[in-house]
Amino acid sequence: MASTLEWQVDKRDGGTVVAASGRVDESTATEFAEVLGEHAETAGARLVVDLGGIEYMSSRGLRALTLAHRRGEEAGTKIALARPNETMREILSISRYDMVFPVADTIEEALAS
Amino acid sequence: MQVRFWGTRGSLPVAPKAGTIADKVADALVAANGRSFADKAAALAFVEDDLDFATGRSYGGATSCVEVDMGEGPFIVCDLGSGVRELGLDTLRRCAQEGRPKEWHIFLSHLHWDHIMGFPFFVPAFMDGAKIIIHAGHPDAEQALRRQQEEISFPVPFDWLKADIEFRTLETGREYEIGEVTVSVILQHHSHDSYGYRFRDRDGKVAIYSTDSEHKIDQMHDENDFAQFFGHADLVVCDTMYSLADSVSMKEDWGHSSNIVAVDLCHEAKARRLALFHHEPTYSDADIQRMHEETIRYEELTRDTDALEVLCAYDGLCVEL
Ligand SMILES: [Zn+2]
Ligand SMILES: [Zn+2]
Repeated sequence: MASTLEWQVDKRDGGTVVAASGRVDESTATEFAEVLGEHAETAGARLVVDLGGIEYMSSRGLRALTLAHRRGEEAGTKIALARPNETMREILSISRYDMVFPVADTIEEALAS
Repeated sequence: MQVRFWGTRGSLPVAPKAGTIADKVADALVAANGRSFADKAAALAFVEDDLDFATGRSYGGATSCVEVDMGEGPFIVCDLGSGVRELGLDTLRRCAQEGRPKEWHIFLSHLHWDHIMGFPFFVPAFMDGAKIIIHAGHPDAEQALRRQQEEISFPVPFDWLKADIEFRTLETGREYEIGEVTVSVILQHHSHDSYGYRFRDRDGKVAIYSTDSEHKIDQMHDENDFAQFFGHADLVVCDTMYSLADSVSMKEDWGHSSNIVAVDLCHEAKARRLALFHHEPTYSDADIQRMHEETIRYEELTRDTDALEVLCAYDGLCVEL
């Protein structure tokens, strides 16, 4: 059974908040990368990826964040990560992704980061 | 099948400095906290049981050399890094004591210096009656080995070596019966290419040697081929030189992979064990140990069903499959 992610998009002043929920693994990573990449080009100054509903992310999901970051660069969009659960926080630390993306506890902090 | 690690360091051999050992001894004494030991065996038991690896031991600093040993027949050796010097001596001991044939099958991942630099110090190459077959995906393997023994680089020219040395170029997409094993080959992303090897013995045990292999961010679909190549392996030796973040930013295109991608590939492949390998030469033992602990944790966090055992290769490690 192919799993999919559920998406919510919220346009705010100064940026866009995108929330996906589910597990970002081999079966959903392509979708995760494509949807995020599209938002990165149109988000405005800031694309906040709300991780609140993400159970965990494998390397493909993490690398999708990097690909989205690259697509956003030309449009001048910067990506920030918000509301990781404990598992995601550990994965961001082990992969050192917390050194390349700002990670915030709240959406508001992420928008302002 | 036993897999024995003779060299596990990436890019450049390293050695501990005086201060490194002094630190370990001091940490061990603090940990012992005034305990006394009846004899050396008791002290060694303390090192083994009570000290963490980075305090009581060391991952070593020789460059890539891994033996896949069936306990009989010709020797199977992956790469000729500086670790092959000791392997050469130990295999000669086994020839003398166990009557093993003086035949070595070498499998080269690629021709970068850290993977061939041990060959001029590989004693069997100097011996009459020794047979050495060097297998590589690269047709220019012979040129690389001859060139490092040109007079400007080394005093003994390649043509003076007394062993019978033969080069064979292997192709991907097929299987070879060599010695006691069945071997297949996969092309990997690396400067001037590199190749991974899959060794299967007669009992069906499988060991994978995949080093100096970058899994590129814009070609993630290629990873299915690697997961298939690693499929149900009993041990996957994997290049885990960088963090994932480094491998897609500053060190992108440097030709190496991360612990995170290695775990994901092994999960997908339903492999049983992963050995972290080709350690970054600037890493201390404590750095490598931390990377090992973090990789074990990442494996737990992302595990779907069956557990993958995560080992950290060190010079001297022997894994029984
Ligand atoms: Zn190397
Ligand atoms: Zn290399």
